[in-house]
Parts: sequence; structure tokens; C-alpha cells
Amino acid sequence: MWKLICFFLLFSGTVVAQNKPLLFNVDDLPQTLMSNPGAQINFTGHIGIPLFSQIHLSAGSTGADLYDIFADDGANINSRIQETMRNMDSRDYFSVNQQWEIISLGWKLDKKNYLSTGIYQEMDAFVYFPKDPAILANEGNSNYLNEPFYFDDVSFTGEIMTVYHLGINHKFDKRLTVGARAKFYSGIFNAESTGNTGRFTTYTTPNGRNVYRHEVVDLDVLINTSGFAPLKEEEGMTVEQATAELLSRSFFGGNVGFGLDLGLSYILDEQFILSGSVQDLGAVFQRKEVENYRYFGAYETSGIEPLFPDLDENDEAIPYWDIFEDEVDRNLRDQTTNQPYTTWRPIKANFAMEYGFGPAFLPCHYLSVKKVRYMNLLGMQLRGVKRPKGFVYAFTTYWDRKINENQRFKLSYSLDDYSLTNIGLMYTRTFNKFNVYLAANNLLAFPNLAKAHSASVQLGMQLIFNN
Amino acid sequence: MKFFSFFLIKSTGLIAISCLLLGCAKDIDLSQREDITISPDLQVDLLIYDIDQSQFVDPNTGNLKTRISDTVRLEFLDDDYVQKDLFSVDFYFRHINTFSREIESEIRFLSESNAEQFTVNYTIKPGANGNPVTTEQYELIEEDRINLVRRSIKMVVELEVQPGTSAFEGELDFASKGFFSFEF
Repeated sequence: MWKLICFFLLFSGTVVAQNKPLLFNVDDLPQTLMSNPGAQINFTGHIGIPLFSQIHLSAGSTGADLYDIFADDGANINSRIQETMRNMDSRDYFSVNQQWEIISLGWKLDKKNYLSTGIYQEMDAFVYFPKDPAILANEGNSNYLNEPFYFDDVSFTGEIMTVYHLGINHKFDKRLTVGARAKFYSGIFNAESTGNTGRFTTYTTPNGRNVYRHEVVDLDVLINTSGFAPLKEEEGMTVEQATAELLSRSFFGGNVGFGLDLGLSYILDEQFILSGSVQDLGAVFQRKEVENYRYFGAYETSGIEPLFPDLDENDEAIPYWDIFEDEVDRNLRDQTTNQPYTTWRPIKANFAMEYGFGPAFLPCHYLSVKKVRYMNLLGMQLRGVKRPKGFVYAFTTYWDRKINENQRFKLSYSLDDYSLTNIGLMYTRTFNKFNVYLAANNLLAFPNLAKAHSASVQLGMQLIFNN
Repeated sequence: MKFFSFFLIKSTGLIAISCLLLGCAKDIDLSQREDITISPDLQVDLLIYDIDQSQFVDPNTGNLKTRISDTVRLEFLDDDYVQKDLFSVDFYFRHINTFSREIESEIRFLSESNAEQFTVNYTIKPGANGNPVTTEQYELIEEDRINLVRRSIKMVVELEVQPGTSAFEGELDFASKGFFSFEF
């Protein structure tokens, strides 16, 4: 048993998670298959209400909240911005993730297999705070003489895509359930800039030719975009036209990619269940409407040097500035190209351990294999997602309580980069076959979102069949 | 048990609905965004030169040429960020002199049509071989005179050697920088 637990922990540590912990391992909800295709499930079919089966939005900022910037305390907002920027570091980040399920359905093929499929649209943006360039722009170099400003701090990814998926959940035996989901990505928009290098420094030079020496070293900043160039070129394009253009790429019109989700759950004994999954093992091949912007080179200067030539009134003055500019352009270059590139999707991993108590018995159904359920589940979940500068982890403990056959709630407490007081709550209710659910994280922050570092909401409605 | 279920349902619903309905932003004033400014202070090197007596020789006659000058266009002064957002400039000029004579320094800022916008004149103190003497000069241009900088595009540096009996030999090093304050 412990070998298996160790395997799961290692597995979760090397890959990483997702941002909808409240829907993980909820065996009443089809959405649990989206985070773990090998989850234990307790239904024989489902049809999502088109466009309403799942609406998910999460946003977070590790370094600053609205109150830090816009506090109504009479102080100067620019001082607050300066203070906030100084307190943040280049590993602080802003993230937004949104998913919108367009179609979702599934049905039990036989006693062991459940097939699920659907389409959803996803937007994911993850931006590290570019501390050094931001401070250089906001404060200048005057207070930072002899201190390098690193362009390595510029790191972000952003994408909008439509995902078409088909998954199978297979009950291997009494203990083990495995699952896989194949995904086809239709990219609408992508922008990324990672792995940049370079630094700008203003050195004081007491024994030098001038007061300072300005130096740019090892500059190499690359911004890749796809789907952006046509929008940029279309002058006068309205928001509606731009939206229509973007939506047209949802249907295989843009850049394509492939991915895989894998998952399993294993019943250690009657009350102990382990589960784990990896999502979005895949890539998008950016081939169409690609533009890459590269800035690279090195240069140093202490100023322009006049030569005091012997000129008469008819002679032309030496064009010092043009010479200087040409020299800068030769050494600090920029390039716009159309090179295809590949983006890896942010891989997510989950691992959970649950302990059930207070047994309840399911209504008998010939397709239903899972005989025993528990009114209460205590669990813990480690989840993470791979981002450009490393893994972003969160650890959640939860109490999953089945109130009766039609109602269930899940109360969670999470530790993550955003907060140490992240309380989440999920509630689902089924009226005959019509199911609605609502889940929200970081509830303590909702009364005043200005002081929240993160918030997340999922809600949806669907038909779920049990017989 | 029924009471427990009833209690759980009601309290769960109440908490969830309360939290979501109460989801609002308090104690902040978003209208402050109108006051947001970006105010970088930039230290920028301008001109440098290191010259000796050979620079003061008239190539036609071989005699001492007491007045030399050169002009450098500072094209960045015409850029949008200077024209719209420059708040103040503090210029700094430094000469290190080993010539044993006083030299008059005149630094003029001219517009495109060569109209003088402002000028900085000072006397470079005499030094001696092995005993360089430093002369420093500051010129602060604040908001009330910043248009003078915005209208400038050329920087003219002129040097005039003052009469004296000693041999005119030595070196003159010049350094200059600007402390530019912007408010975007």
C-alpha cells in the first residue's frame, strides 16, 4: 500500500494540477471525469445543458490585490503602486483561467466502460510580474545605479482555444478504475514569452570617461504570437468583428494540437481510496498566423563624442547622432519573423487520498458496479500545474458530505501561493434527473474581493441518469 | 438525522448564497486610476571628449586657435516622451583641466532654426601638468522653463582659451549627463 502511495506522491511531484479542486472526486458529477478520467463514478449517463453544463472562472494574483493599489485611505496611489511593486518579486504571478463547456455528454457502454465526450472553450493566461522592467519603467535608473535590471523577468503565456474531447472510464476490477481522454485542441490565440535573457545596468564610473556607463548585455527576448497578426493588421476592426474572427478559428480554423488526460482510482480497502490524474499532456502546433518578435544584442555607451573638426561655414557638421543610432541599431537588433513554434499545454496533476465512513447503499442497478458509498469522505489532495518558472502547487483537505441521495456538499481548506485561508464550498442538488451544482473557492474573501488574492467559481446544470 | 440534514442543507445554502451575493469590493476607490502616473527619473550620459593642445592648432597657419566648437544633434529631445512628458532636467557638466590657462566654456542649446534656447557659461579653472583641476557646473531646468529643452535639438560646445604667457600644453576632459524626470 505504501509503495503505491509513494508512487502517487512521486508522480504528483514530478508533474503537477488543476484549479477546480472542489469538483475532483465528486462521483455524482460528470465534471469529475474532466479532472480524472479514471475517477469512480456513480451514474450511467449524462447530458449537459448546452452552454450551461460548466462555467468556470478563476483569477489570482500572488503579489498584490486591488486594495494594495486602490485603497481608499487618502494616501497617494502612485506611492502605493511603487511600494507594491517593490514588495513583489519576479516569481509573483497573475493568472486567469476560464472554461466554458459547450457540449457535454456521456453514457455507460456496458458494466465496465463509460464513454464521455464534449467540447469546451478555455482561456488561460499566466503572467509573472516583470519586476525589473516594471521598476525601470516606473522609477527609472536613478535610484538603481550599479544594479542590473534583468529582462529574464519577462515571462508569460496566454492562450485561447476550443477543446474537443473523448474519454473512456474503465472499471478494471473491483479495486481499480482507469481512464483516458483524448483531446483535440483548436487554437484561437496564443502569445508566449519565456526563457528570456539580458540585463541593463547604469554603472557609476568615477575613473571613467563619463559619469556613467550604460550597458546592455546578453539581451535575447522573444515573443511568439499566433492568431494576433490578422487582428493587428485589420485597422478599424470592431470588437464584434474581432470576436467573430476569433470564433471562426474555434472550428478547426486555427492552429491544432493534441493532448491526453490519464487517471486512475484504486480502492485500498473498503474505506480507503487513492486517486490520481494527469491532464493536458499535449501540445499545440502554432503554424498559422504566426509572428515572432525578437530583441537581441549587446551594447555599451558613455555618451556621444564630438571631435571638434575644423569646419568652415559651408561644411556639413558631422552627424554624430545618426552615427550613434546606426551603431545602436547594429548592436541592439529587433526582428519580426514568421517561424512556426510549438507550445506545451500547462500539464496538471492531481493526487488524492480519501477515507470514507458512514456507509450508505446505492439503489440497485444492473449497470452500477459501485455498491457501497459513504455518507462522509475525508480527503486530501495535492495538485499542481507546470508553469514557465516551475510548478505551482496547492494542497487541499476536504470533507465531502452526502446529505441524502439528491444533495451533497464539499467543504475544503487549501494552502496555495495565494492564501493560507482558502475555504471552498461545493453544493450539488439533483431534482429527479436535473442536476445543478455550484462551487466557489476562497469564500472568506468574497465579502470583500478587493482584499482577495484569488477567487474561483464553477457552476453548471445537466441531466444525470442513474437508471 | 432529519434535523441534521435539514440544518446542513440550510446552512450550506445560506453560506454559499451569502458569500456569492456579498461578493463585492469594499474600501477601495477605483476613480484613483485617473491619478496614476509613471514617473521615471533617468540618469543619462550626454557628451564626452578628451582633447589636448593639438585640437587648438589652426591647420592652415599652425598657430594657436583660441576658439573651437562642435555641434551635436540630440534627436531624442524631439521624441514624444520628451515633448509631452518631460518634467524637469538637471544638467551636469564637468571639465578636468591640466592646461595652465583658464578656458571659457559655453554650452548652447539651439532649436532646429538655430535659435538659442538657453546657454550655460562658465570658466574652466586652470590646472597644471600632473595637477588636474576639476570644474563642475549644474543647470537645473524646471517645469517653468522646460519648454526651452523641448524646443532644443542641438547642443553646441564651445571653448575659448584665455590669453596667457605660459606654454599652451595639457589635456581637457569633458563629461556631461542629464537627470531627466518624466511624468507620464
